[in-house]
Amino acid sequence: MDYKFALAFGLPIGLGIAALGVGMGLGRAVGSAMEALGRQPDAMTKILIVMVTGCALIEAIVIYVMVFAYGLVGKI
Amino acid sequence: MTEAHTPNPIPEFPNVLSILADKLEGQPVAHFLLQWESIIFSLLVIAILAAAAYFATRRLKMVPHRFQNATEALVEAVDGFICSVLGPRGRKYTPFIGTLFIYILAMNYIGLIPFFKSPTADWSMTMGLALIVFVYVQYTGLKEMGLLGYFDHLMGKPRGVMAWTIIMPIFMFTLHLLGELIRPFSLSLRLRSNIWGDDMLLAMLAGFGLKGLPVLFLNTLFVILAATIQAVIFSLLTLIYFALVLVHEEGEQH
Repeated sequence: MDYKFALAFGLPIGLGIAALGVGMGLGRAVGSAMEALGRQPDAMTKILIVMVTGCALIEAIVIYVMVFAYGLVGKI
Repeated sequence: MTEAHTPNPIPEFPNVLSILADKLEGQPVAHFLLQWESIIFSLLVIAILAAAAYFATRRLKMVPHRFQNATEALVEAVDGFICSVLGPRGRKYTPFIGTLFIYILAMNYIGLIPFFKSPTADWSMTMGLALIVFVYVQYTGLKEMGLLGYFDHLMGKPRGVMAWTIIMPIFMFTLHLLGELIRPFSLSLRLRSNIWGDDMLLAMLAGFGLKGLPVLFLNTLFVILAATIQAVIFSLLTLIYFALVLVHEEGEQH
C-alpha cells in the first residue's frame, strides 16, 4: 500500500467526516435559532444576524479541511 | 492557447488579464500581468470606490438627495452597529472597520462580472488584510492596557489562589497566545476559501454547457449571498476582536 492509495482512500473519507461534524453543528445552531424565533417572532433580525454569524464560523471549519485536501490532491 | 499535457484539475474562468497575457505570449509583460493580476483588480476596485465617494460628496447638501442619501444611510448603519458594541469610543474605529467592510464587499462582488476576477480569491490578498487587522488589534491592546496589563490579559487575569499555582497562568497564557496567533490564518482562510470555492464552483458548472444554465443562475444568486455574508463576517470578527481588547474598568453595561 503506497501513499497514493492511502491518500486516495483517506481524503474523501476525511472530508466526509468533517462535513458530518459541520452538518450536525449547523443543524443544532439553526434549530435553536428557529426555536428562539418561535418564542419571540419580532426579534427576527437580531436572531438572524447571530445565526448567520454562527453558521459562517462553523462553516469555516470544513473549509479549512477542504483547503488542506486541495493541497494534497495534487500529490495523488 | 496551448494545452498542457495534464488537464488543469482546478477549473477557473479566464479574465481580462489572463486573456491579455495569452495574446502577448513570451513577452515579460505577460508574466508581470499574470503575477500581479490580483493587485491590478484591487486597484480597479479602489478606483471605483474612490470615484463613488467623490461623486457622493461633491455638492454636500444639508438635506441629502439620492446618492448622498444612500451613502449616508450606509455609513450611519455601520457606525450605529459599531458604536453599539464598542461604546462611544468606537467612533474612532469606525473608519477602519467600515472601510474593511466596503472594500471586501466590493472585491467579492467584482468577481461576478464576466471577465473579472475577485482579488479575494487569492490568499495573499486576504492574508494581507488579516495581518493588518491582527497588527492593529495587538497595537490597540498594548496601548490600552500597557505591556504588563497585556500579559495579564493574555494570562486570563489570574487573581488570588490561581496566581500562586504557576502552572495554570502559564498554561492559560500559551493557550491564549496560540488562539491569538491563529486569528490571521483563520480570518484569511475563511474569506479566501469561500470566495475561491464559489468561483471554482461557478467555473465547473459553466463547463457543463447550456444544460447547466438554470443551476448556474441559482448558484450565482447563492454566490452573491455568500459574498455579502463573508464580508460581514470579516468585519464583524474584527469588531469582536477590538471589543475583547478594549475592556473598560468602569462597569459599563450594554
